[in-house]
Amino acid sequence: MTAHQKILVRKVAAHGFVVCFLILVLVPFVMVISASFRQGDFAPSRLLPDKVSLDHWKFVLGIPYQEVVNPATGETRTIKAGTPPLLWFWNSIKISLISSAGIIFLSSTAAYAFARLRFKFRTSTLGALLILQMFPMVLSLVAYYVILDFTGQHLKWFGLNTQAGLIMVYLGGISNYIWMIKGYFETIPATMEESARIDGASQFQTFVRILLPMSLPIFAVVFILSFISYMSEYPVASVVLQSSDNWTLAVGANSFLYEQEKLWGRFAALAVLSGVPITVVFLLCQRFVIGGLTSGGVKE
Amino acid sequence: MSFNGGLPIRQILVALVVIPALYLVFNIYQTGSVLVALAMLVVTCLGALIYLWDWGYTYRYLFPGLLGFALFVIFPIVYMVFLSFTRYSSQNLLYFNRSLALFLQETYPVGNATYTYKLYAQDDGTYILYLQDDKDPTKRFASEPFELKAGEQVKEQQEPGKLSALAPGEQVKGRPMEVAQVTREKLFIPMRGRQFALPDGTLVGMEGLQKFASRGRLWTLNKDGSLSNTKDQTVIRPDFKQGYFVNDKGEKVGVGFRTFSGFDNYVRILTDPRIQGPFFKIFLWTVAFSGLSVLLTFSVGMLLAVILEWKELHFRRAYRTLLILPYAVPAVLSILIFKGLFNQQFGAVNEFLRSIFGVAPEWETNPWGARVMILLVNLWLGYPYMMLICTGMLQSIPSTLYEASAIDGSNPLVDFFELTLPLVLPPLVPILISSFAFNFNNFNLIYLLTAGGPKMVGGGIAGETDLLVNYTFNIAFRDSGTNYGLASAIATVLFIIVGLLAWINLKMTGRNVKI
Repeated sequence: MTAHQKILVRKVAAHGFVVCFLILVLVPFVMVISASFRQGDFAPSRLLPDKVSLDHWKFVLGIPYQEVVNPATGETRTIKAGTPPLLWFWNSIKISLISSAGIIFLSSTAAYAFARLRFKFRTSTLGALLILQMFPMVLSLVAYYVILDFTGQHLKWFGLNTQAGLIMVYLGGISNYIWMIKGYFETIPATMEESARIDGASQFQTFVRILLPMSLPIFAVVFILSFISYMSEYPVASVVLQSSDNWTLAVGANSFLYEQEKLWGRFAALAVLSGVPITVVFLLCQRFVIGGLTSGGVKE
Repeated sequence: MSFNGGLPIRQILVALVVIPALYLVFNIYQTGSVLVALAMLVVTCLGALIYLWDWGYTYRYLFPGLLGFALFVIFPIVYMVFLSFTRYSSQNLLYFNRSLALFLQETYPVGNATYTYKLYAQDDGTYILYLQDDKDPTKRFASEPFELKAGEQVKEQQEPGKLSALAPGEQVKGRPMEVAQVTREKLFIPMRGRQFALPDGTLVGMEGLQKFASRGRLWTLNKDGSLSNTKDQTVIRPDFKQGYFVNDKGEKVGVGFRTFSGFDNYVRILTDPRIQGPFFKIFLWTVAFSGLSVLLTFSVGMLLAVILEWKELHFRRAYRTLLILPYAVPAVLSILIFKGLFNQQFGAVNEFLRSIFGVAPEWETNPWGARVMILLVNLWLGYPYMMLICTGMLQSIPSTLYEASAIDGSNPLVDFFELTLPLVLPPLVPILISSFAFNFNNFNLIYLLTAGGPKMVGGGIAGETDLLVNYTFNIAFRDSGTNYGLASAIATVLFIIVGLLAWINLKMTGRNVKI
């Protein structure tokens, strides 16, 4: 075998392996799309739907449709979602957007102090942030309940079963992001800021006018990562948000899969509907995300 | 102090935050939560000082973030540790004062006076109770107007309503309702929970559906804190160890209350066989799961990264984009989808395996099947992240190294194990550790995929695939035996383990990166 042939064999093997792996990885996606267009409620199991129906999509989008109740007489009834599932998607987007924006505000200011300013207990505070954040959020639920119950008695928009209350809880989880942003700030030389100081800018101005614009890539990363993690968050949202018009996507989607009756069709339609925009955004920004992940090494 | 364009913007902003905050503090103080109000006052003043005086400059950047962190990360931890030293469960749910109050509100029928009653519905939706003594019809009483919610049980005992005597011939205002109507409209349900006091202080309450009868307090509070039963003269006293009132024979009476229990919950983890058995089993599985997850995702991620780094391979970009898809989809959705795919009877995975190999593994009922499924799903969810990280690491290796080794006539396998791996592994260690810690607490995956099932034989609420964090969650929130104290103790142990991991991670990172 010549060296050329050797490389050819290797190439074929590499393509073969990657393609096989890709098929295993992508089949679930295809099955979910097919389940959302399939008549009846079946768990995702086919690559193509046998009987195509748009009912699940209509339900998810809040459009009324006719369902045959009795096939013998052809009797039908109109079905319309009590709470349109699209609303959950909107709630999730709203909560995740506001939380992520808040996270960027809180963690970038804190990261600035850690990266550029010197103060007592700086190193130990940084360490404590990292270690304390390891406490699983689920096990803080009792305490969240106590806090929100209390705030709800005094400020009713921040109580239990409010989205503002949930956002407030989410804003606590900033320490990973502080670390990521701080790491990025430290890669930017401070000389620009120093010369601006000499020209008479205040410290705050150097932060807002010089450092922040230069750090946009890391903010994009933090924004995307926190956005995705809040879109996926289930346990806290399911305890805080009780009424169905407040639910997020994760809570709502799970509600379709009862123990007794699993409404796979609706679930699949909702999954496709909500998965697509996030996936597109993620893929568009993947270069940023890869850069941020490899520099910070943080996963939620 | 600096002024921006003449207007003291900073001072105005501080005032805009501080004034409502102080109002809130006052409000909270008035409702009786003195400690919370005090804590808020201190925080508000501290904030005002930091933003108004120059010495607090550095802390202006830290204050909002650290405040949120303190409230939603540190406070829950402190609260959890505090709870772990208390007896607090569905049996010991109330604070001592509430439990005591329940005893003191208990009544029993005394004397033989009975009263016929009527409710008078008022125009504004409230009611007035009218009583007439059965033996002496001239004794008639009426209450103040009060609210009743039809069909709703009174959960908390209220102050007894005041009854005042009616003068002869005086009529009660409103529309009278007879017993039948009261029953029909389900007003008797909230009425049963209410008590009224006659002008001489005697309590009266509903006796059956038809009558009111005078009632006496069942328990009287003695000076030493014990309670005496007025009916049979027994004495009960609070036992702060058990969190119950006990009588002379040591039997528990009534509902329990929350109490400090010292290290009882921790001792229970170590000694109680019902907890200890599952605890260690679950601990082992948690470690195995986290370790295997890291190993699998890392190996697959690294393999794919190495293949895709091969410059001569076509479609590299397209492959990479498709391969990171699982990372882009919200994990909640993909986990639930896998739950459907791995369904034992109808799932696509078993349908496929049955048609090709004639086997149908028990993903749901067999513990090992379930564990394999969990690892497979977690591999699917986790390899893209490792692939991205490894790609970043591989790209930082100078290509001259490989060229040199190619001259020496090496092959890709040798290159990988003798050149690549030793170079990328050390900087990857902190990432592997934090991935381990992440999986150690991977609540969502287990909760949504198997809910801990199948059940552990003889393990109570423990499931074969429960991670420690899921087990703790179940003890705290699921089923009848909710035990916040015990759950908090396990959570504290859990936190110490993961905290240690994080600390080691920090020390290792600290060697490479200066913080």
